[in-house]
Amino acid sequence: MPTQVLLVEDSPGDVRLTQEAFREANGMIKLYVASDGVEAMDFLRRTGEYAHAPRPDLILLDLNLPKMDGREVLAQLKADERLKTIPVIILTTSEAEADILKSYQLHANCYLCKPVQLEAFENMVKSINDFWLNQATLPNRHHR
Amino acid sequence: MQLRNLSERATSEARYRGLLEAAPDAMVVVNQSGVIVLLNLQAEKQFGYRHDELLGQQVTHIIPEGFAERLLSDGLRSAVDALAQQIGTGIELSGRRNDGSRFPIEIMLSPLKAATGILVTAAIRDISVRKKAEAQLLQKVEELKRSNEELELFVYVASHDLQEPLRMVSSYTQLLSRRYTGKLDADADEFIAFAVDGANRMQHLIQDLLAYSRVGTQGAELLAISSAEALQQALWNLRGVIDESDAVVTYDELPNVLADKSQLVQLFQNLVSNAIKYQNPGVPRVHISATITCGKKWIFSVQDNGLGIEEQYFEKIFGMFQRLHKREAFEGTGIGLAICRKIVERHGGSITVESQPGQGSTFRFTLAGDQPKAQNDARK
Repeated sequence: MPTQVLLVEDSPGDVRLTQEAFREANGMIKLYVASDGVEAMDFLRRTGEYAHAPRPDLILLDLNLPKMDGREVLAQLKADERLKTIPVIILTTSEAEADILKSYQLHANCYLCKPVQLEAFENMVKSINDFWLNQATLPNRHHR
Repeated sequence: MQLRNLSERATSEARYRGLLEAAPDAMVVVNQSGVIVLLNLQAEKQFGYRHDELLGQQVTHIIPEGFAERLLSDGLRSAVDALAQQIGTGIELSGRRNDGSRFPIEIMLSPLKAATGILVTAAIRDISVRKKAEAQLLQKVEELKRSNEELELFVYVASHDLQEPLRMVSSYTQLLSRRYTGKLDADADEFIAFAVDGANRMQHLIQDLLAYSRVGTQGAELLAISSAEALQQALWNLRGVIDESDAVVTYDELPNVLADKSQLVQLFQNLVSNAIKYQNPGVPRVHISATITCGKKWIFSVQDNGLGIEEQYFEKIFGMFQRLHKREAFEGTGIGLAICRKIVERHGGSITVESQPGQGSTFRFTLAGDQPKAQNDARK
C-alpha cells in the first residue's frame, strides 16, 4: 500500500505546487486533497461522499481555510481518539507567533512556514518526506 | 507735613495709575492680604467688571486659585522672598469673569514698595488663543502620529498579503523556466527569463519593505546590550558574503549601548554588507569603531575602502528606493540604508556618511550609552 497523505489547502496553485514537489521527492506517495476544513473532517470521518476515504498516514494542514479554518480542524482532530494518532503538520504562510503557539497548544506535531522561493519549498517537501514518511515510525495502519 | 505726605502719595499713585493704563495687559495691584487696591481699564474689560466693583475686593474674585496663595509668606520665607521666587516667570492660572465663565491666563508678578507695605503688581494676559493653538497643535501631532502608525501597518499588511500571489507567480515562472527552457524557442526562453527575474526582484522588494515597516511596528524595548555582540551576530549572518569576497572585517573594542538588539544587528549587517558590496576589485576592508561624545552618546563608524560616494548623494542614499548604480552593476532594492536610518532614528540617534569617490566611505551613527536615561526613547 502506498503512503497516503491528506493535504488540506484551499489555493489550487499551492495544491499543484505541493503535488509537483512530492512527485519530485517521492513518486510513491498518494496525495489526497481537501480544499476546506469541512471537507477535511468529512474525509477523515468518512462521512457523505467520503465513505470510502482511506485513513491518511500524515496530514498537511493550512491554517487559513474557508468554512472551517485549520485551527478548528486541528482542535477537532486532536480531540478525536481515533484520529489524534495521525501526525499533523501545519503548512502555512503565517509567521505570527500567536498562530505558532496556538497550533502547538492544539497538539500540532510540527509547524512549517511555506518558503517564498520555489527551491526552498521543494526542499521543505523533501524534508517532510525524508523525516515523516521515511525516518519516523508511524503507528501501523492495521492496528489502530 | 502729614498733608504734604498725603498729596505726594496721591501724585505718585496717579503717576503709577497712568503707567498701568498704558500697559497692553490687564494690570491689578494687590496688597499682602490679597485685596485689590488698583486696576487698569484692561482689567475691567477682561474680567467684565466696573472699576468700583473690583476695587477693595479680594483678588480671588477674579483669580480664584493660585494667586492669593503666592502672596502669603510662610514660616520659612518672608513675603519678599516668597515673591522674589515668582518674579519674572509666567504663571499659568485660570481667570473668572463677572459672568462666572473661566479663561486661561498667564500672570507675571512684581513687588512694589509702598508706604503701606509691600504691594504686588500682577500683569494678567488672556492666553485663550495661545492655549487653543497649543491644544490644536497637540491634536494635530496626535493625528499625524496615528496616521503614521496606520500607514506603517498598511505597508506591513499590504506587503505581507502581496507576498502570497507573488509566491505563485514566482514559483510557477521558475517551474516553467526549469522545465521548458530550451524546449520552446529563443523568444520563449527570453520571455520566461524576464518573468523570473521580475518576480525575483519583486520578492526582494517586498521582503525589504516588510523589513522596513517592521522597524516601526515590531520593534522591541531598548535595553542595555553589548554592541560588540550585535556586531558579531551581524558578521555571523554575513559569513557567506564575507568568505566569498575575502573581505577583511576588523573592529575596536565596542561599548554597551541602549538598543533593540535585533535592530542593531540588522543595522550593522546592512552597513557591513554595503561596505563589502560596493567595491572595486581587490580586498574589501571594513573597520568598525566607536567613540564617546561629551553628551554621553556613542558615535559608531563603519569605514570601508570601497567605491565611495559623491557628496551630492550623501543625503539621497538614505531615502526609500534610492539607488546610485545600475541593476546590472549592483543588485538591490534601495531600501537598505532607509532601514538603517529608520532604526537609528527610532533609537533617538542620527546617521550620516562621509566619503570621497575612490577613497571609500565612512558611515557614522549615534546611539545612547547604556545609562537608563533614554527611557522615553524606548517607548515608541
